[in-house]
Amino acid sequence: MTLTETRRHAPPAVVARGLTKVYGQGDARVHALRGVDVAFATGAFTAIMGPSGSGKSTLMHCLAGLDTATSGTVHIGDVELTGLGDKQLTLLRRDRIGFIFQAFNLLPTLTAEQNIRLPLEIAARQADQVLFDRVVETVGLKDRLGHRPTELSGGQQQRVAVARALISKPQVIFADEPTGNLDSRSGAEVLSFLRTSVRELGQTIVMVTHDPMAAAYADRVVFLHDGELVSELVAPTPQGVLDTLMRLEG
Amino acid sequence: MLKTAMAGLRAHTLRLLLTSLAITLGVGFIAGTFVLTDTIKAGFGQRVTAEADKVAVAVLPKAERPGAEPSTPSTLPPSLLERLRALPGVTDAQGLTRGRTPLIGKDGKAAGDMPTSGVSVASGPLNRTTIVAGTGPGSDDAAAVLDENTAKAEGFRVGDTITVLDHTGARHPFKLVGLFDPGVDQELAYTGAVGFTPAAAARMTGEAGFREIDLAGADPARLKQAVAATVGAGVEVMTGTELAARLAAQAGVEIDAMSLALLMFGLVAMMVAALVIYNTFNILVAQRTKEMALLRCVGATRGQVFGSILIESVVVGLLSSGLGLLAGYGLGVVTMRVLEAFDAPLPTGAAVTLTPSTIAVGLALGLVVTVGAALLPARTATRVAPVAALRTQVEEQTFRTGVLRMLFAGLFLAAGLGTAGVGALALQPGQPSTLIVVMAGGALTFLGVLILGPVLVRPLSALVGWVPRRLFGVPGRLAVDNSGRNPKRAATTTVALTIGVTLMTLISVVTASTRATMDAKLDEQFPIDYMLASQDREAAVPRSVGASLRQRPELRDVVQIRQTTATSGARRVRIGAYEGPLQPVVKAGSLRDLGPGEVAVRAATAAEFGWRVGGTVPVKTKRAGTVSLTVVALVDDDTPIPSLTMAPAQFDSAFGAVPDSSVLVNVEDGISPDHARNLVDAAVAAYPTVKVSSSTAVRGEFDEALDMLLMIVTGLLGLAVLISLLGIANTLALSVHERTRESALLRALGLTRSQLRRTLSVEALVLGLIGALIGVVLGLVFGWAAVRVMADGARYAVPGGQIAMLVALSGLAGVLAAVLPARRAARASIVGSLAAG
Repeated sequence: MTLTETRRHAPPAVVARGLTKVYGQGDARVHALRGVDVAFATGAFTAIMGPSGSGKSTLMHCLAGLDTATSGTVHIGDVELTGLGDKQLTLLRRDRIGFIFQAFNLLPTLTAEQNIRLPLEIAARQADQVLFDRVVETVGLKDRLGHRPTELSGGQQQRVAVARALISKPQVIFADEPTGNLDSRSGAEVLSFLRTSVRELGQTIVMVTHDPMAAAYADRVVFLHDGELVSELVAPTPQGVLDTLMRLEG
Repeated sequence: MLKTAMAGLRAHTLRLLLTSLAITLGVGFIAGTFVLTDTIKAGFGQRVTAEADKVAVAVLPKAERPGAEPSTPSTLPPSLLERLRALPGVTDAQGLTRGRTPLIGKDGKAAGDMPTSGVSVASGPLNRTTIVAGTGPGSDDAAAVLDENTAKAEGFRVGDTITVLDHTGARHPFKLVGLFDPGVDQELAYTGAVGFTPAAAARMTGEAGFREIDLAGADPARLKQAVAATVGAGVEVMTGTELAARLAAQAGVEIDAMSLALLMFGLVAMMVAALVIYNTFNILVAQRTKEMALLRCVGATRGQVFGSILIESVVVGLLSSGLGLLAGYGLGVVTMRVLEAFDAPLPTGAAVTLTPSTIAVGLALGLVVTVGAALLPARTATRVAPVAALRTQVEEQTFRTGVLRMLFAGLFLAAGLGTAGVGALALQPGQPSTLIVVMAGGALTFLGVLILGPVLVRPLSALVGWVPRRLFGVPGRLAVDNSGRNPKRAATTTVALTIGVTLMTLISVVTASTRATMDAKLDEQFPIDYMLASQDREAAVPRSVGASLRQRPELRDVVQIRQTTATSGARRVRIGAYEGPLQPVVKAGSLRDLGPGEVAVRAATAAEFGWRVGGTVPVKTKRAGTVSLTVVALVDDDTPIPSLTMAPAQFDSAFGAVPDSSVLVNVEDGISPDHARNLVDAAVAAYPTVKVSSSTAVRGEFDEALDMLLMIVTGLLGLAVLISLLGIANTLALSVHERTRESALLRALGLTRSQLRRTLSVEALVLGLIGALIGVVLGLVFGWAAVRVMADGARYAVPGGQIAMLVALSGLAGVLAAVLPARRAARASIVGSLAAG
């Protein structure tokens, strides 16, 4: 069996059922999510797209255990997030989830290497040196490990963040607009690292983006609109993503 | 701008509350000191006025020349009383007698540390004694009254029979008919007092003359003139009102000294508060960079931004000083209640008042300190560029060690250490000028360290963070890194703590050194087991006591010391001799053999009179006329021998067989302390005024006094430390605010809430330890200088345990200060914080 076939038979990494999220009270009530059902396949690179205010960030926060949903369930692997306390959620994030944010991804007091190893240290786990070398090699940071974030370019900082997310071999990596603050060349680099890690390391990645070019790196794109899942594309092209978006906006 | 300033105050209530607390505590302490002293003074005033109101005119002997060695105070002759009584307009005249009349306690020995004073209690309108239980002696010569504190201490009650010694040492029984309050008379409060009828008082004290004559009559002013015309020179005449004013002033001097000492601590607290406020306003300005920039964008001038910060500081200063005044009033009330409960010899009756001058000083001080501390931060605020409003990220403050900073720090340190070094090493110890030089050096050094602070923070945080870094894993490592992140802010925060810790270390070093020095001196020069002496060290031990003790084989050494007062030129001196194996420490000359016509002089006395070895000293003696003595040796001041020491035989022939004033006894090895004590006690059983003290008891009392001093000073400095903790809490709160997103990132990556809290706690621990460490080093250095200048040959001792505890407590206090900011950081929502600006 090939790697791809194994994945096809594996259960999905993240599953959400009937997810709703309501902010505020009374007249100020805002429905950010209105019953979202979605599953993210293991070993796949999935993008969540949608116009501003469509609820894509809220969806990601609820999936990653950063925020709690008003109703509905979320499973990461075989663990149900709903009803977990803060401590259990924290440990779940620590052990099973990796994060890449749009900005302010790194701790300014730590070097690149210390930043990469941070999740393992928080969990008091030994780093897999082979994996570490491979990850560092992949993202091309070998000669920048001793530098602090302020001495790195934006693209390099984001590559450190990618390496940090990969190092703990999480069940799923959530990336929130990872290229939002980068120029197009650096953005393209980061996205290809993400795709490479899916292809070669079997990593599962869920990425929120509003950039059709970025979404086109994914295996599959799901579209949100007004808190509802409205469409999806498999093996997307930039043009296909753009067309779908235009249709939704229109 | 006023509106924005007020809105700013409302928005940052909590932060400003902490700041206010710093000012409130400082002002409260200072106001409390004033309230307390004002109240005590008012109490004295009330008492004195009530007493002196009874007197129309008082006649007193002229005050003695100050500086003369103590002698019997001059008195007014009884004939004067008769003459005054006969004056027209005088309705009553009473002489006040005072002398030594030792009260015998229930153990058969003279009561208290000093012989009790015997005073006359007048009957009739001129009776100024306040009877608080029973009655006065009236005209019953066999009745007596005791002051209430002595009665309480010795366990006497009204109705008991008390035994009092007269001036010859003969015992007289008296019926205790009442208790009285010695009032504002500090001497009576100190010695304890027995009151008799005037006749009994004269008999008991053996004093024929009066300390004061009080006259009753109408029109005090005219009476005063008439009296003044009668009494002639050498006598002071004043009206009752004038007497009241003088007594109140005398009492006030002591109160003022106490108040001054307390105010010093208050000022230290205010200095620390100023640092805390400076930091807080810096924090507020940093937090509101965007707000300031926005104001600038919409057209506010630099001046207006500056003004808005100053208005905030004025409001904070006024409010917290006002609260401070209330706190001070409360402090005054509580302290008066405590003093009352402990029967302190102070009047506690007066109403506690907040005088207008206290209010003015409190408000002014609070306002000046607050606004003064806010000036620099306000200037920083004006430097915010309008474009900062558009930036999303808070800029990390970078700190580079500037050449200028190093230069200034170096200059101050060199000047400070140089000055202190010169004072400590080259100048004469024990002189006030030396002390001032060393203090100036200390202040300069402190300024140097203050300037150097930001440079010291990083290496020190690495040093003190070594253990937490290894002990607490990721939280520990992050915390140690964070503590050195903004060195300027960390330095200001820790310096506030450093001030308190420096002073605490200094005082503990000084007390430990004093103890060590005294112990060493006692061991070297005064290695005695028992001392026999009367309460007032007068010649009261018959020579036979020492002679008989010398016969006992259980006792190794017996030294008899005797002395009397003589005059040399116009001045009084204490002159005497000793017998026995005592080895005074000779500073100049030689003390092999004191021959006829030779004298050894204590160094301080020699310095005072300008005598040198080889010079001659004229001394007027009782039996041999004026003799000329040659100075052959100068001896150390701590040696327990008279100022001028002659050979025993020469002393006797010059002054007669004066009894011993003290007998020092050393016990042979192997003799049980109980047995030795019984032996010594038995030797003096017949002499109630001779008391036996053991060196362990003396050291114990000395240690107790030192411990008490240390405790009081430490307690007073505790206020400064408390205020500096508010500063640490404030700084951490800002760190939490600035690192909102960073904390959120860590939480997203799997740092638990308790780990995040721990990060903050460890950071506070590191800050606390840095402050304590600098403080301890400074305190040790200053302490060394202080000990050097205190006295010649003083020993330097470091109370390791106390200092270790001080450091540990500082760390712990830092951790406590982190509790609230840490809770706040841990509670923040991750999603909200990640999204935040």
